[in-house]
Amino acid sequence: MNSKNALLVMVHGSPRPSSNGSMFQVVEQVRATNAFDFVEVGFMELNEPPIPEAIDGLVEQGATSIIAVPYFLHAGSHVADDLPTLLEEAQEKYPAVEFSMGDYLGHDPLLMDVLAQRVSEVASQ
Amino acid sequence: MHAIILFSHGSVLCGAGENLFALARQMEARGDAPIVEAGFLNYSKPIFEEAFAKCVARGATKISIAPYFLVAGYFVNVSLPPKIEAMSAQFPDVEVVVAEALKTHELLAQAILNCAARAQKPEKWRDLLDEAPRFCIDNPQCPLNGTPKCPLRPSPR
Repeated sequence: MNSKNALLVMVHGSPRPSSNGSMFQVVEQVRATNAFDFVEVGFMELNEPPIPEAIDGLVEQGATSIIAVPYFLHAGSHVADDLPTLLEEAQEKYPAVEFSMGDYLGHDPLLMDVLAQRVSEVASQ
Repeated sequence: MHAIILFSHGSVLCGAGENLFALARQMEARGDAPIVEAGFLNYSKPIFEEAFAKCVARGATKISIAPYFLVAGYFVNVSLPPKIEAMSAQFPDVEVVVAEALKTHELLAQAILNCAARAQKPEKWRDLLDEAPRFCIDNPQCPLNGTPKCPLRPSPR
């Protein structure tokens, strides 16, 4: 069987679904790099699809390994506890698929560059 | 003197604010501004007002507030402005500007790829939870409070 790698971007979800627009644009940029055979978004709450359904979809498409990256800024309970639980359940459901969990977005040093740029956009006014 | 406040929501899990302190320290060290402080809206300390006062005490004449939020929602648009107004009344000589939230940026796409490259096997997925007790402040809302993992309150109140 061919190995197919997938990226699952795990997102909190918002009571205002329009708030997800920026995130979808970022995910589209990731998809365009072709670093993964499949790139999907799954939500922890409030929006569709929920993370388990997104995983079902990736497995149906033939993903043999899934890297799940939390699109979260803080190492709070969701990242430290809730998301690992969802991934453990997925690993149990699909023992033949190799699951791994990426670092959370806020932990990447590039966030500093984005913050600094957002400041420079207004600080010179 | 220019100061940046990284304005964040805060989290109930002990230690969850440590990452923002690290970001502030590194941004200050590399000179994004002579002063960079973190300030929280809820749960974590220091609160925004304390961070603002600290910037002023350190000599800030201009404060840029950088929302550490994915998008500018309720907390940035509704919760933050009255706090700025109150601090500006207290320190009328300090100029205040508010930057955009993180929103869309090609570096965020790169950050996702970097985060994926650091992916861990299942036995490591709860390392963050295991680190939290190091920063225990006996917060009754912390999910570990009253559980065996809490160093200060290992059994329910």
